[in-house]
Amino acid sequence: MMRYLRWIVLLVAIVLMAYPLGWMIAVSLRTSEGLNLRYYADVWNSGPFDRYFINSLAVAAVVVLGNIVFCTMAGYAFARYRLRGGKLLFFLVLSTIMLPKQVILVPLYIEMQRLGLIDSYWALTLPFLVDPFNIFLIRQYLLGIPTDCEEAARIDGAGEMFILFRVVFPMLTPVLAVVAIHTTLTNWNSFLFPFILTNSTSMRTLPVGLALLAQGAYSIDWGHLMAGAVLSALPVVVAFLIFQRRIIGGLTTGMTR
Amino acid sequence: MMRRSHMRALGVVAGLCFLAAFSCGKKSGSRSTSVHLWQFWDIAVVAPIIAEFEKQNPGLHVEVEQLTWATGLEKIQAALASGTQPDVCELGSTWLPRFSYEGVLEDLTAVYEAERDSFLMWDSALYKGRVYGLPWVQGSRVLFINRELFKKAGLDPDRPPQTWDELLQASQKIGALGNGVYGFGQNIGEKYVLYKKFMAFAWGNGGDVFDERGNVVVNSPAMLEALEFYLKLAPFSLQEKQEVLDQYFKTGKLGMQISGAWNVKNYALEAPNLDYSCALVPKPAADRGEHVSFAGAEMLVVFKGSQQKEAAVKLARFLQAYPQAKAVSLAAGSVFPAAREAMNDPAFTKDPRIKVFVEQSLTSRTPPAHPGWNEMEEAIDHAVEEAMYGRRAPRWCLDDAAKEITTIAARFNQK
Amino acid sequence: MSRRRRVSPVVWLLLPWALVYGAFFVFPFLFSFVLGFLHYNPLNVANTTFVGAGNVTRLFGDADFHSALRNTLFFVIGTVPVTTTLALALAWLLHAPLPMKDAFKAAMFLPSILSVVVIALLFKLFYAPGGALNETLRALGLQTHGWLTDPATALPAIMAMDIWAAVGYYALVLYAAFTSIPESLYEAATLEGAGHWATFRHVTLPMLKPALGFVLVINTIRSFQVFVEVLVMTQGGPLGSTNTLVMMLYDTAFRRLDYGYSSVIAYAVFILSGVFSVFALRRMRSQTPVQQRGVPA
Repeated sequence: MMRYLRWIVLLVAIVLMAYPLGWMIAVSLRTSEGLNLRYYADVWNSGPFDRYFINSLAVAAVVVLGNIVFCTMAGYAFARYRLRGGKLLFFLVLSTIMLPKQVILVPLYIEMQRLGLIDSYWALTLPFLVDPFNIFLIRQYLLGIPTDCEEAARIDGAGEMFILFRVVFPMLTPVLAVVAIHTTLTNWNSFLFPFILTNSTSMRTLPVGLALLAQGAYSIDWGHLMAGAVLSALPVVVAFLIFQRRIIGGLTTGMTR
Repeated sequence: MMRRSHMRALGVVAGLCFLAAFSCGKKSGSRSTSVHLWQFWDIAVVAPIIAEFEKQNPGLHVEVEQLTWATGLEKIQAALASGTQPDVCELGSTWLPRFSYEGVLEDLTAVYEAERDSFLMWDSALYKGRVYGLPWVQGSRVLFINRELFKKAGLDPDRPPQTWDELLQASQKIGALGNGVYGFGQNIGEKYVLYKKFMAFAWGNGGDVFDERGNVVVNSPAMLEALEFYLKLAPFSLQEKQEVLDQYFKTGKLGMQISGAWNVKNYALEAPNLDYSCALVPKPAADRGEHVSFAGAEMLVVFKGSQQKEAAVKLARFLQAYPQAKAVSLAAGSVFPAAREAMNDPAFTKDPRIKVFVEQSLTSRTPPAHPGWNEMEEAIDHAVEEAMYGRRAPRWCLDDAAKEITTIAARFNQK
Repeated sequence: MSRRRRVSPVVWLLLPWALVYGAFFVFPFLFSFVLGFLHYNPLNVANTTFVGAGNVTRLFGDADFHSALRNTLFFVIGTVPVTTTLALALAWLLHAPLPMKDAFKAAMFLPSILSVVVIALLFKLFYAPGGALNETLRALGLQTHGWLTDPATALPAIMAMDIWAAVGYYALVLYAAFTSIPESLYEAATLEGAGHWATFRHVTLPMLKPALGFVLVINTIRSFQVFVEVLVMTQGGPLGSTNTLVMMLYDTAFRRLDYGYSSVIAYAVFILSGVFSVFALRRMRSQTPVQQRGVPA
């Protein structure tokens, strides 16, 4: 009896969660000539959306890869080595999350401009290669894993790099799945920095392209806006549905250590 | 264990990185021979114009970039802060005075003296007797009326309200139709819009924010009258954000609203069967006041420190010139050239609805060219909203706005 | 440990992070910190003046800041406990053999995949007259309402949206924690004769502490920075009822060109989120049972 009740309550909750999303899709399909994909076609054709898409994809891939490698290194250092001033370093890491990023917008632009990196793929990737949040996640996870395997490898004479990448890394798969999805999400949807740090059309990412669309001919048309929103969410949703098991599995074990 | 020396090593590396970032960076890229233009319209719209300019001026190359309304201002600020601002830039008429005040714009008074009578909308570019911008395109707000609802309410759609009383009556009658239909649309709950609608009534009644001598008169009797009338419309109005109002009008549930030309383009695409027409903003009475409206103008400026000053001014004048402004307007569909020639061009006068926009721009105004305007407009928005929500009596709302605006003005040591 | 103590591996391990941090964050952070003591306007950098603590003292007398502070605190206190409780409830519901569990998990995660801008646009339509919510109310014969145009309901409407968007993700995090609780503990509790509620309080909750701590801290920090939703939906209106600290910070910098004051507001947010997080963590830690493992620092 209890089981059915749980299931029904969950179902209600899920419906409540899905309802606005369903509405969004409905609005994007409901054109003045009935249900069709006209809005999607309009949005896609209104600019070089294929280029935007590729840009977003390329940038996301580089940033995720960078995070997986570099944050693992840093997380491992924080978890396994007692650092003098380690607490301070850790606080520095957290502090980057706690400070609203709008306040570093212009200073970062000034710096990027001095480096000559404005309007390049470097600007879109370099500052985001090592997200402190991911370092935090990996550290937490590692703290819960006993060091036996590592000790064994060390006794066998393995070097630190080997230990990290051949012994520890494979054990991190669950938390790395979380890191991957979290980084992808933050990066894919980010608008403000990519917009400020780039100028040319060829450098635009998907959210920037959509924002430009939203101010143009379709600015007051809900159908087009929702179609654009669905288009921007689609790749991540598809990726999620494909990797869903691994991602949720990662969340399942990644956070509890 | 991590040795202190290693901590230091890390710190030094980090520090070196950021110092290197500073010293070896080049201040400006390959900008020397190009003229840089930043503007808000689709590149596809502007590209042919640029191509024509380059053809007419061999040896000059133009780099165009498109800004978004949402974050364009941030980008311009970041560029100015780092010394990488463009040569020519499009600025909204409400931002321009601040830029003039800060002294970052080239003096274009010579152009003004040559072109003055050919264009409307110079006001926002005037500052302390000099001119700092060239009007490019503009958009007034006019009264949209739904002809079908008019007929249903027993009103004649070919005789749109000309006075405040007529407007009130029409709103009442259409509002009485019930069934989710509203008579008039009033903006509320968002920034940058409300004051534009209200000021149309205020100016039409002879009111204003400042008088000729620069005193704050936002709480004058004429202004109070306008606000009180605006409140009279409330019971028959849908009070919502602009896009909701536009949407309601589009679906035939709103009798009238004051809005801009972006709707004409959108309704043609999305609601081709909507039976509507446009009219001038009503004036206070048949024998009093004027059909004044709000206009937003897009101005072209040249930033000081431009390495290509002469070419920049040339480009700005080229863009401003009627044929180019016309091309942009027609492609964008939501604005009109600031050039007076547009008034007589069939391209803009053939469609009776568009003709109203063009006619209205002759009696439209941009807000006072005060560097503190962005804050002042918020004070006015706040006053009108407070009155609309019935929080306080209109006169106290306006008095507060007057105090606030006086304080803001004092900070700029001006007017 | 390797006998070769030339360069500790730690240096190599932390090098990429140090490079990125040093190159791209140290300068902006320092700059923004120093900005707090200046009167800085990007249009007129040459006229930058030093105002010392002037920007800070200005905070104390600024009615707009107080109202933004109140709104933000209301937002945090109103959403974080609710989101956490709902997430806990959902996680508990999920933690049982159920059909279609995977579909449920996937559905719960979906809102967190969408960007904040998309969610804000969606809900702007949702709350509008003629939008899904009002139409449903009308169909049920209830009164419709201008959710985003009424100063009394605008902020709660945004809060409801925020809870909707966040619950699924945190529920999954907590669900993960649930699955890690060893069955043996439950068995022991049943043997002792503990009822459902007692089991929950003395077995489940304590084992969830790290995950709960994580959820609380992250949610608190993010809630203090609520901004994009407000920018898209109401820009701080109506009548300043949805003006939050970061919305005010943004407006102060980019519309009023007062970067110094804006910076001070940013650090106020920083301090507030820090204080609240530490407070939340301390409270959690003080009740840590002996069997805890992997406690966050």
